[in-house]
Amino acid sequence: MAIKDRARDIIGKEVDGVLAFRPEGGSHVPHLFNADDIDQMAGEYPAGERYPVSSIVRRLQAARPGVRLAVVVRGCDERALIELEKQGQVDMEHLVLLGLACDGELAGTCGCAQPYPSEVVQGEKVEGGLDLGMVEKLEGLPPGERLDYWLSRFAACVKCFGCRNVCPLCYCKECALDEPGLVDHGEQPPLLPVFHLIRAVDMAGRCVDCGLCEEACPIGIPLRTLYRKVGEVVESHFEYRPGRSPDKKSPLSVLGTEEDVT
Amino acid sequence: MHNINNNNQIPQNDTLVPGTSVSSGTNASVGAVMVVGGGIGGIQASLDLVEMGYRVYLVDSGPSIGGVMGQLDKTFPTNDCSMCILSPKLVEVGSSENIELFTLSDVVGVEGEEGDFTVELRVRPRFVDPEKCTGCGICTEQCRVKVKDPYDADLKRTPLIRVPFPQAVPGVAFIDPTRCLYLLKGKCGECKEVCLADAVDFEQKERTDTLRVGSIVMAPGYRPFDARIKAEYGYGVYDNVVTSLEFERILAANGPTGGHVLRRSDGGPVRKLAFIQCVGSRDTSVGNSYCSSVCCMYATKQSLIAREHQRDIEPSIFFIDMRSYGKGFEEYYRKASREQGVRYVRCLASYAKELRPSGNILIGYTDEDGNAVEEEFDLVVLSVGIEPDAAGLAGVLGVALGEHGFVATDEFLTVKTSRPGVYACGVVEGPKDIPDTVVQASASADMASAGLGAARGELIVHVEHPPEREVVGEEPRIGAVICRCGTNIGGVVDVPAVVEYARTLPNVVFADERLYACSQDTQEWIRDIVREHGLNRLMVASCTPRTHQPLFRDTMRSAGLNKYLFEMANIREHCSWVHMNLPDEATGKSKHLVKMAVGKAALLEPLQEGVSPVTPRALVIGGGGAGMTAALRLGDAGFTTYLVEKELELGGNMRHIFRTVEGGDVGAYLEELVGKVSSHGNIELFLDSTVDVVDGYVGKFHTTLSTPGGPVEVDHGVVVVATGGVEYEPKEGEYFFGRDERVITQAELERRIHQDPGSLAGVRDVVMIQCVGSRNDENPYCSKICCTVAVKNALALKRLNPDAGVHICYRDVRTYGFAEDRYLEARERGVGFIRFDEDEPPEVKHSFGDLLLKVADRNVRGEEVSLGCDLVVLSTGVAANPDAAELGPKLKVPLSADGFFLEAHVKLRPVDFATDGVFVAGLAHYPKTIGESLTQACAAAARAESVLCKENVVTEGVVAWVDEEVCSGCRQCVRLCSYEAIDFDEERGVAVVNSALCKGCGACTAACTSGANTLLGFKQDQIYAQIEAACNPL
Amino acid sequence: MSRKPENNNGKDEVKILAFLCNWCSYAGADLAGVSRLQYPPNVVDIRVMCSGTISPYHVLKAFQMGIDGVLIAGCHIGDCHYIKGNYMTYKRFQVIRDVLEFIGIGEDRLRLEWVSAAEGEKFAEVIREFTGQVEQAGASPLRTRWEENPANRERIRKAFKPLLP
Ligand code: SF4
Ligand code: SF4
Ligand code: FES
Repeated sequence: MAIKDRARDIIGKEVDGVLAFRPEGGSHVPHLFNADDIDQMAGEYPAGERYPVSSIVRRLQAARPGVRLAVVVRGCDERALIELEKQGQVDMEHLVLLGLACDGELAGTCGCAQPYPSEVVQGEKVEGGLDLGMVEKLEGLPPGERLDYWLSRFAACVKCFGCRNVCPLCYCKECALDEPGLVDHGEQPPLLPVFHLIRAVDMAGRCVDCGLCEEACPIGIPLRTLYRKVGEVVESHFEYRPGRSPDKKSPLSVLGTEEDVT
Repeated sequence: MHNINNNNQIPQNDTLVPGTSVSSGTNASVGAVMVVGGGIGGIQASLDLVEMGYRVYLVDSGPSIGGVMGQLDKTFPTNDCSMCILSPKLVEVGSSENIELFTLSDVVGVEGEEGDFTVELRVRPRFVDPEKCTGCGICTEQCRVKVKDPYDADLKRTPLIRVPFPQAVPGVAFIDPTRCLYLLKGKCGECKEVCLADAVDFEQKERTDTLRVGSIVMAPGYRPFDARIKAEYGYGVYDNVVTSLEFERILAANGPTGGHVLRRSDGGPVRKLAFIQCVGSRDTSVGNSYCSSVCCMYATKQSLIAREHQRDIEPSIFFIDMRSYGKGFEEYYRKASREQGVRYVRCLASYAKELRPSGNILIGYTDEDGNAVEEEFDLVVLSVGIEPDAAGLAGVLGVALGEHGFVATDEFLTVKTSRPGVYACGVVEGPKDIPDTVVQASASADMASAGLGAARGELIVHVEHPPEREVVGEEPRIGAVICRCGTNIGGVVDVPAVVEYARTLPNVVFADERLYACSQDTQEWIRDIVREHGLNRLMVASCTPRTHQPLFRDTMRSAGLNKYLFEMANIREHCSWVHMNLPDEATGKSKHLVKMAVGKAALLEPLQEGVSPVTPRALVIGGGGAGMTAALRLGDAGFTTYLVEKELELGGNMRHIFRTVEGGDVGAYLEELVGKVSSHGNIELFLDSTVDVVDGYVGKFHTTLSTPGGPVEVDHGVVVVATGGVEYEPKEGEYFFGRDERVITQAELERRIHQDPGSLAGVRDVVMIQCVGSRNDENPYCSKICCTVAVKNALALKRLNPDAGVHICYRDVRTYGFAEDRYLEARERGVGFIRFDEDEPPEVKHSFGDLLLKVADRNVRGEEVSLGCDLVVLSTGVAANPDAAELGPKLKVPLSADGFFLEAHVKLRPVDFATDGVFVAGLAHYPKTIGESLTQACAAAARAESVLCKENVVTEGVVAWVDEEVCSGCRQCVRLCSYEAIDFDEERGVAVVNSALCKGCGACTAACTSGANTLLGFKQDQIYAQIEAACNPL
Repeated sequence: MSRKPENNNGKDEVKILAFLCNWCSYAGADLAGVSRLQYPPNVVDIRVMCSGTISPYHVLKAFQMGIDGVLIAGCHIGDCHYIKGNYMTYKRFQVIRDVLEFIGIGEDRLRLEWVSAAEGEKFAEVIREFTGQVEQAGASPLRTRWEENPANRERIRKAFKPLLP
């Protein structure tokens, strides 16, 4: 209940609203609480229920610049917010983070590197550990088999755009996936493999490994495996970890120095 | 550089500071300038002059412009590819309507005076009509007589008829008449027969042209020292002893060995490589006492490049003093010696002997311990010096030579010769490197134009074009022209088949072939077909767009079409010439290339070159010598100039200098400068003021100054940064500095010499310590001038008191150029020189109240020397002005690691910043002498003037453009622009490209995931169309 | 040139797309031409102002369209006409190469080279070598692999529409 308590304390004072969850029909939905309805805020956060809160924050702040919000964040949400701030999409100054540590079970299945935010208000911090098992397994295969693996997965794509729509880091007004010069409109499955690789390269320096895309994919294409590989590439070449390198900007978004490229 | 002792050769009767005194603006002055010499100096001067509104006649005695820089492989200290940075300039000269090129030409007579000279030129026959020749090279293949190729330093043979080198401008052939069978005996003439353009013309005769010009710039370059004179090194006798220029060609990827480091004797590999320095320099026995200024650096560069080519090469450089004094040089040398395997051996190599049968060379020298050593090398490079080659031209132009035979110039403005209206830039005036040459080139453009103000723009040609036809909304109608290029393309590619194929492509409404697409009659023909077929796009498949696109774009304009509706397919350099034995494949590939070009052409849009008005006023920051000079030059040119000085008084560092090394009276010069600046009608002075906020961009800056009277806002079109440097302050207690008043700095000594000589009366023993605060881990750079200053003051002390004992403790004596003479003089007058190692600096001690200096003298095997002294003088370096760190970000210009301002390009843009409209001069850029500073100020003024003299800044059509509807405001592009061309509009949350600053590189567009930011002319859909055409079958 | 994987000494005939920056690499290719250095005709090129213009999308698009190899060439680091454009090229290249490799479109099909205006010989050599390397790797699996499997043919036929006549 620590988050709820904190939310009650600050609502109407430090912040104008709290973005948290409201129980509804046996599950939870994101809701923007104000002083009047703050009591309806959920106190506990079941492992299975995650939302792209950073995207909601982004939209709320865009609609009402300067609005003071508090938001319940897991580690991945915070990482997304940090990246979004670097890209000018959210305003952290007017944001209070109510940190929620993922429980051991969620952390285990998720396999992200840091299943807790920098300041934990509620929950028990469990250390994570980036799960590169699938990445490594694929790397062990001969290239031809890897290609088969991926093409067969991509071929199942129904082009629902769920991965993009849920991605906290996808906020472009026009998306390369809609660009007729790259991806044929109305083609089903989409052109292989460019559709999925466009997203993969765009995730370089951006993807915070929240896993929402894979959850959103109705077919279960192992998108997270693909983007984890991208994350590893970026980290190994440029020592950059999206959301976890707060004082640096993505190497792909700054010119850098000669040392970076020799 | 200066090389006159008694200044009476320079007209200084009534005034020291030139400019206001020039009786400018007489209507008689001619709006054209002759530039003699087409090396980098002449090229830069020409380009600047045209930008400033003057017509240029560029004269070169050879068949092409380019000079020595065109022969170099790389340039120090960045290892930039020489040709890469030079060739865009060559092309620019070649395509300028306002530069008339005279090759194979010499100046033979001059009459008249400043403002109106009449020059007589002797133009030797080329035997090829440059109007007809397309540079296709078919003739070269026919010619049977081969001669040594001067472009390759005579290391290779080449036919008599040829284009001098691939990037030559003009890119047309010439015949070397010395051995031509037809010209000598009336036989052969095969080149004439094979030339499809009918360009060979054996009837050409030498002619004399007479030209009227307002001023003349000399930039004829130099002659390398003839190494045969130093017989002890065996050049010309031993195959494996080569000169540095020859070695440069050996290193060059386009040179005789294709960039492989091979021995001349047997083509064998090189492992042990030696460089002998100072061959023909610092050597009174051959009559050249001066230092050639560049050899230490080029030897280091050549060593590094050789090792880059071949890892196992072990270079050794035999040198006397390592003179790595310029910007970035010391760091380059440190890295080479410490990390990159270059061995430096301090000695004078006594001889070189050839060993048989290996052909190896044995070098004999005395090592630092005094032992005679012999060492064997595979190849020996002689670092030959720079010799003047000016006597002939100087004689014709009537300008005085200095004692070394270089053109004599003014100490303060180093491009001013003894004859008004004639200026000199580059090596003709004294040894120097490329950036110093470029600075002088711009400075001479400034001076050459100064007296011609009234004639500005009079002779500039503006080509009038018909109005552009509106094509937006029309279906693309593409004309496809396929060039045969004589047999260059037609001999390999089935041109008719390509034409047939082109006709089948979508949007192509007309296709045909031409023998030469670039010939004059084809341009006429293109205008016809555009009209007849209602074309709105043109695709030419021929040679490289890098040289020919400008021509066809002009034709587009003359045909009434936007020039950006043009696309080229390169089926010559990238096809017929590289697949000569595969006609079918080459034809197929040509079709592909045509298809790609047509695919892009269909999507081309007319682009507008932006115009943004120029505020014809300048802001000069810094009221020292450089700032004042820049302000004065700009003020004299008629531009209102705001001069901002943070102190209460003008003069800056110049106030603390009394004499130049050659004895020039700095105080008098300064006084006159201050007087002129203070009373100048066009200069508005802001003393005790600083720059607060700078807004805007080239042509349109808006700046708030903080002044004693409160904030003042000014509008201006350019900024000159001349904020100077500061004296390095010795650390508290460094050599007792600040604790013992007998330890002073060089500046204080100079002050005492000139203002308080009495205080030096009792001083008998003086020791100077060099490199205090320079060339160490904290300040790795060399302050460049301290050695010369030390020698100057040592001589002054000796003059005051010939019996005084003066010692200079140094690491390398870096009296580059003519300052070497003063070094010699100092030694002759008994100044002692003691060399110490970086790790073993001298120690100053107190002994019973006396000052005692102890040092291990490396000149005598590290023997400990103890000197009692009355005065210890610290040669403190020049440090960057700490204000720069604040000013840089305001102006959006960068600083280098040592805190000096960082110019746009160390070699070719030494006074420009990457940010357009902002220029740098003086110590703000790097330590330098007064003459170098003031000359750089003139150069900055010239560059600034080329902006201010135009009504508008015209920007390229190929620029980035952000669709504000689509931009999501991620700001990536803002950060990725090297030119600060993208601003972020916080209010609307979108990126906005300032097309006046954008250079069209596209680095930003590739980052824009939303596709909001596109590079016009290279839009994504256009590139996708090319990719699609490339990948799909024909 | 036929797009069918033809026999060419038992090797597939491959097609390579080269992106060349205007100031150095395109000039280097010009010099190779002027010097009449011969190299295989499998390569066609696209001129861009700076190698920094080349986005990962361009590379992806080319592979999608069935190209067998992609070469990106720009000025040497430090020589970029636009100062630091090629820094971005280098960084983007690192990412796209590794991603392609991971997907199974071998990294030997994508190459980055710095070629200066004076390096005509290097340009020719790069093309020779790279062509050899791509030939070794064979036709791009994106245009062959699934065609071998009749079950997938229909689907691939659609997906690879642009490749088929
Ligand atoms: S194209 Fe290059 S110069 Fe122009 S805005 Fe983009 S990054 Fe800057
Ligand atoms: S990269 Fe694209 S989306 Fe981002 S700020 Fe620039 S134009 Fe806008
Ligand atoms: S211009 Fe060649 S890489 Fe930038």
